[in-house]
Amino acid sequence: MLQSTTFLTIQSTAAIISLIATALVISVVVFLMTTSSVDEDKTSAKNKVYKIRGRYMIGLISCVVISLLFTLRLLPYPQFHDKPDRTITVVAMQWAWKMTDGEPNVKPDMLEGTPDISVPVNKQIQFVVTSQDVNHNFAIYDAKGVLLAQTQAMPEYKNRLNYTFAEKGDYHVFCLEYCGLLHAGMFATIHVE
Amino acid sequence: MIQLSFEEQKGQRKFVVAWSITFLVLFPVLIALGLLMRLNQGEIIAMQPTTFYAIMTLHGLGMAGVLFSMSFAGLWYLIGTRYTKLSLGMGYFVFALTLAGVIGLTVATLIGNYAPGWYLLYPLPFVGTSWEEWSNGMAIISLIILGVAWIIGSSHIVSALAKEYDGAFNLLGWQYLGKKEVKREVPPIAMITTISLIAGVMSFLIGAVFLLLLLLKYFEPSLSFDPLLLKNYVFFFGHTLVNITLYCCLGWVYELLPEFTGREWKTNKVLVYSWNCTFFFILFAYFHHLYMDFAQPMIFNYFGQIASFSSSVPASAITMFGIIAQFYHSKTKWGIIPTAFLLGVAGWAIGGFAAVVDSAIAVNKILHNTMWVPAHFHTYMLCGVVLFILGFLFYITHSKAEQERNKPAKIGLWLFITGSAGFLSMFYMGGLNSIPRRYADYASSPIASTHDTGALLAYIAAIFIVLILVGLLTMYASIIFRLGADKRETL
Repeated sequence: MLQSTTFLTIQSTAAIISLIATALVISVVVFLMTTSSVDEDKTSAKNKVYKIRGRYMIGLISCVVISLLFTLRLLPYPQFHDKPDRTITVVAMQWAWKMTDGEPNVKPDMLEGTPDISVPVNKQIQFVVTSQDVNHNFAIYDAKGVLLAQTQAMPEYKNRLNYTFAEKGDYHVFCLEYCGLLHAGMFATIHVE
Repeated sequence: MIQLSFEEQKGQRKFVVAWSITFLVLFPVLIALGLLMRLNQGEIIAMQPTTFYAIMTLHGLGMAGVLFSMSFAGLWYLIGTRYTKLSLGMGYFVFALTLAGVIGLTVATLIGNYAPGWYLLYPLPFVGTSWEEWSNGMAIISLIILGVAWIIGSSHIVSALAKEYDGAFNLLGWQYLGKKEVKREVPPIAMITTISLIAGVMSFLIGAVFLLLLLLKYFEPSLSFDPLLLKNYVFFFGHTLVNITLYCCLGWVYELLPEFTGREWKTNKVLVYSWNCTFFFILFAYFHHLYMDFAQPMIFNYFGQIASFSSSVPASAITMFGIIAQFYHSKTKWGIIPTAFLLGVAGWAIGGFAAVVDSAIAVNKILHNTMWVPAHFHTYMLCGVVLFILGFLFYITHSKAEQERNKPAKIGLWLFITGSAGFLSMFYMGGLNSIPRRYADYASSPIASTHDTGALLAYIAAIFIVLILVGLLTMYASIIFRLGADKRETL
């Protein structure tokens, strides 16, 4: 069944503003099609539209600037002052995950880890994510199937993702970057205790 | 306007018909591949992952290639019959190379099971693959052939226009920005073509570098490259290709719409600023594909979001308002061509808005690589580019009066729109429900709701795809039999 999304999650916010924009666009189309039979001098009609365009442009530029200022503060990237309570190394491979405590100084293909790991609730966890073969994507889902956080797992690079689990329970790791034949069967579990 | 002999016009007409037939044949076949994918995800049919991903790769490569090729062909025809002479020999050479590339990719995917996706992320094509080794080489060479074809074709159009209008700077409209009187007006289609195809050639060149590196790796497996650098290359190429496909189509909307609204649409200072800004936004917006690569220097992510958000200003305030000004109280008769163009702009606006939403890093961290991504690009491709192409195909096959009274085609168009709306809604709902994209099926999901939702939405989407095909084929019935006949108004 379709899961319900909590009001004003990122997903529901995206849905609401996209629906409003879609409704606006459809309204303009309907308006243009239903009123086009009116005959108006082209200069007068254009002047009316361009008058609205001037206001629209000021409004749009304001919206762009405000939304940039607002959203560019909500980045998922770790900050220098972040001090994670625990570090977990994650290695992706075709088509499984290896996770282990700490940040062992070994090559990704030599790392020994498991597809299940336990972490404490309400503690900041830093996932150090890499890959031993191709590009993958480390995505954390809650038990209801809601995507909570993600970062790419890339060979030769380490991506650091900080996340604090606010509730106990089992969380699932999906691969969100197409990585070959069994991409749709590449999962791991994070037990939050 | 240039003067062409009857034979020259006829030659250009045959040339665009050749591209149109290729489009008309391949497009529904590629939709059928998409239908198979959604049927598999919806658990109506059972397909091996090897087959699913080969089909997914062919669907993506095919759609990107076919839609760009047709948008390029439409521009070629309008420019080659109105603004500058274009060499048909060169045109057919580009056409032959394109066909060779398409055949190579079809063989690689359907026989060799080549399946790294249409934007392939190095080192995937070489590691842990399920496809034949030879298919890698064949696909890389086929893509290089396509790239060469498009570079040759784009360069020919731009250089021919530049000769006609005394240099590329004039084509970019820069003479409109000074105080001097403009000696020779540049039609919007010429400016848009130049801007789009220059960006296109830049992306094809980067794509060529990427493919040549892959070819080196194919012949010398011990070589290795930086995966993040190559990811930048491939997204720069892919993002730009998809963008210019739409912009090439907008070129002919600027050109043809005034014939139906009765209002001229000329280049002016605002239009020049708008499209020159768009050129830079096209080049920098691609960074939004790499937000989740945390190792990428953060400044690039800022560039990506700022360029993506800013691109909404020229797109909506200039082009979309320009189209509103064309239609508003214009006494336009709603034949299939102006209707397709207006709805195409609406589809572009809706898909573009969803793309801008996802281009916010704060949103992308939740929507990246969920179904929201195919949702927005399918919106502006299916309800934007494809509607523009259909409008163009009706333009070259129907007189103004014929396209006004063609009721079956209008019914086909609205069936197509209804099917598309339903089909796209399933993608959007998938994205909002965190359903991953590019999954052959959801059977292995450890979360029941992901499996149930993903499969249900795919099942419903498949029904709407059938409606899209019915609408499309209804319109085809009007187009196909008129392709051979000369249309009086355009000859």
